[in-house]
Amino acid sequence: MTAHVTCLGCGCACDDIEIVTSDSRIVGATNACELGVRWFGDGRVPTRSAMGGRPAKRHEVLDAAAALLRQALRPLVYLAPDLSCEAQQEAVGIADALGAALDSATSLTAMPSILAAQERGRAGATLGEIRRRADVVALWNVDPLVRYPRYLSRYLPDSPGRTFIRVDVDAIDEVPTLTALAAIVAGQVRQESGAGAAWDRARDLAPRLLAGRYVTIVADAESDDASPRDPGRAGALISLAQALNGPTRAALSLLRGGGNRSGGDAVMTWQTGYPAAVDFSRGHPRYQPHDGTAASRFARGDVDALLVVGAAAQIPPALLAPMSRVPRVLIGPAVSDSALEAGQPPAMLIDTGIAGIHDGGTVMRMDDVPLPLRPSLAGPPSTAGIVRALADLIRPGRQAAAR
Amino acid sequence: MTALRITGGAVHDPANGIDGDVRDICIDAGRIVAEVPKSATTIDARGMVVMPGGVDMHSHVASGSVNLARRLLPEEHDRDPMRAPALADGELSRSGTGGTVPSTFTTGYRYAGLGYTTVFDAAVAPLTARLSHAEFDDTPIVDGGFFVLMGNDEYLLRQIDAGERDRAREYAAWLLGAAGGYAIKIVNPGGIERWKQGARDRTDLDTAIGATSVTPRKILETLVDAGNALGLPHAAHIHCNNLGVPGNVATTVGSMRAVAGRRAHFTHLQFHSYAAAAGKGGGWRSGARDVVEYVNAHPEVSGDVGQVMFGAATTITADSPVEYMLHKSSGRKWINVDLELETGCGIVPHMYQGKAAVSALQWVVGLELFLLSADPWQMVLSTDHPNGGSFLSYPELIRLLMDRAYRDEQLKRVNQKWLAGSALADGIAREYTLNEIAIVTRAGPARLLGLRAKGHLGAGADADVTVYVPDADRSKMFATPRYVVKGGTLVVEEGQLRRAPAGRRLHVRPAYDNAVTRDLKRFFDDHSTVSFENYPVGTLRDAPAAIDGERGAGR
Repeated sequence: MTAHVTCLGCGCACDDIEIVTSDSRIVGATNACELGVRWFGDGRVPTRSAMGGRPAKRHEVLDAAAALLRQALRPLVYLAPDLSCEAQQEAVGIADALGAALDSATSLTAMPSILAAQERGRAGATLGEIRRRADVVALWNVDPLVRYPRYLSRYLPDSPGRTFIRVDVDAIDEVPTLTALAAIVAGQVRQESGAGAAWDRARDLAPRLLAGRYVTIVADAESDDASPRDPGRAGALISLAQALNGPTRAALSLLRGGGNRSGGDAVMTWQTGYPAAVDFSRGHPRYQPHDGTAASRFARGDVDALLVVGAAAQIPPALLAPMSRVPRVLIGPAVSDSALEAGQPPAMLIDTGIAGIHDGGTVMRMDDVPLPLRPSLAGPPSTAGIVRALADLIRPGRQAAAR
Repeated sequence: MTALRITGGAVHDPANGIDGDVRDICIDAGRIVAEVPKSATTIDARGMVVMPGGVDMHSHVASGSVNLARRLLPEEHDRDPMRAPALADGELSRSGTGGTVPSTFTTGYRYAGLGYTTVFDAAVAPLTARLSHAEFDDTPIVDGGFFVLMGNDEYLLRQIDAGERDRAREYAAWLLGAAGGYAIKIVNPGGIERWKQGARDRTDLDTAIGATSVTPRKILETLVDAGNALGLPHAAHIHCNNLGVPGNVATTVGSMRAVAGRRAHFTHLQFHSYAAAAGKGGGWRSGARDVVEYVNAHPEVSGDVGQVMFGAATTITADSPVEYMLHKSSGRKWINVDLELETGCGIVPHMYQGKAAVSALQWVVGLELFLLSADPWQMVLSTDHPNGGSFLSYPELIRLLMDRAYRDEQLKRVNQKWLAGSALADGIAREYTLNEIAIVTRAGPARLLGLRAKGHLGAGADADVTVYVPDADRSKMFATPRYVVKGGTLVVEEGQLRRAPAGRRLHVRPAYDNAVTRDLKRFFDDHSTVSFENYPVGTLRDAPAAIDGERGAGR
């Protein structure tokens, strides 16, 4: 049994999981939620390496991959989920060496909240702080149980002094309601001034929020394809949380998905200064959050070679078709079973371990608290190790430089 | 790492009593040695100035808060891109971005390019220590370490409330090792916890923290005593209550008196040395004289200045209530993050402008701390990067210290509103000598940090050496060293960055009484969202620093 295992099923990164293995399979994941149990699975993953549509030795794949990427004029390095920060560090280094574009799953999911926070800052807290202090909790258009099953039980359990407010607002009314609320909270307007449903709702909510000594607003930062959102939503949520810090204390808790997405944002930030959508083509990082994301590059036909690092199966669906049409290298957990394995030309691929099941290292919880990984199974080679090997082929002069 | 001889330079090695004597510095296997064979590579330093590598004892370069600040500032990074430097022999290098909060690789290259070879991050929440280590792993050349935030730590406050000072000390010992940190840091003792609780009034030395018997005074006493009892290489590193508040000089001197007779370091004193003007209208006045008077009379106390430099800065601090006030007054974007059980984090970009009364007063207060302090070993250089200004402004600061005519010229240009009666406005003739600069930028910080192999050029020291070309413009001289050697590797040659070896991690691992961990395990189970077992960062690649006495056994 392996105890204190960190689960990457969602951004909660619960680190109290006990994994029981038998015969090189996971047979139990104590404390894990349903989503977590699914994420751990039985821990069996393929260990293939292939190119040209047939099996090949890893070193052959790496040689060919390095040649492909070095010759490319418009390479893209893409960080998919289920990577340790250590693997992400290596992958960003490859993008730098290649003068490539660099992006991650964040650009199609949590980007609006990142951009809004770059404009305004934010008022936040780590999850334990919320657990300790929150007396008024507004669940803003989100039921955490669906995509973050243990969020409430671990970080905001019911307690005598805690009031939950479930706010369900049509997408179209979200920003007007938040804006009205922030204005009332900040004392910028007389409460009776605004008319309409948004103002009515804001007038109802404002005193309930202001009754709290430590207000927590919980909202989902990941996109939900079912209900397209106003691009101003994240900024309005931030403004409300900041405004609440006048009359009382408040934190906005933005929910993030699994697979160490927050870690990818953090690694890219410390290595380049930017959290996603980076372009190294001029020999230094440039931030292109609007027209330099993977999606916009593929839309322009601006990618001639692709390196995916991470769990290809978790790449946002919109990217799969264009990705499967360019020459590509796939390094990550079960990439040989992913939709990107098929397509023309055939992929060069190496299956590696899943961060947290086979690979060790560090990951970040949705609140940027770093946690260690405790692998419970031996398995395919580590992603960080394979990516490092590729990096060494791409930059042969590499020495003991950064590490 | 070949043997190296730096020959013919005027050596400033104040720790060894050498003040500009022409002599050779010999290097072998990463250390300073008495002699090397004639076959050793020779660097001709005739006519040049040779000093130990710079040591920055208070900076913000590798922490969760710093990384949040980096993410906040894409516009700064966009204006200051940095290509991967072309290193010798095709050695790997990395591109990055600058501004007041540069990316990690750029941070390492630029510190080294300035002749600095050791840098400490002054404020790391132990909860996020793994992240600091990862950032330092990607910060080349410089040796790095960090201080561990303890002044608002819930477990520690509970021990103080219960009168369990011994357990508080054992906890501090455990926490340093668990985080892989180097020293105890106290930021606004108790005041951050009060901000989390919703308090908005001042936190003074005897203000009760919530409903407990804990006060900032007790926190200071407990942690200063803990640091000394554990024999840590660096004293408790203290950021006082009421940062940035006019009249706070009383809090600052009061805090020094609270730990009188005990080794303690008070940081970025500039931000804590403001008097309040009497009479209607109020306003600010310099309180530097009061602080210096105390420090000059108490050799057990040390400080760094935290000089403000005009231009862009980014304020990053665990002292989150201060950032709330700054955001309210400046309207700039603002990050607040409350960190569970430990501390806070606040970030606001800032612009210090000579024409603004507050900025001008802050600039004057910092210079007065430098110029009125009797002993440079006691009051060393910092800008609290990037809070008072970027580390890239150190050469300009050195010019202000060394060149009275230049300083007086600058003084005339700033807002005079609150400067009347200040020592600087009255005229200070003092000009720092090269030896004094060597003290406040390397020998002094190294001694205060207890880094026996840093900050000097005696046999056995780490071979961290910087060679400057003298220039009447001291800013120019110190901005572009001709040679920099780090751990025996020539990293800057003819003013160009040529090599970028990995830096080492500087940390301590004092022994502790195991009983504390049993109690802690229960505390974690009840209050933490991180498993006790997942909290410590584990074994680091570099060995911990030596600690004298019984705590030095290490674990």
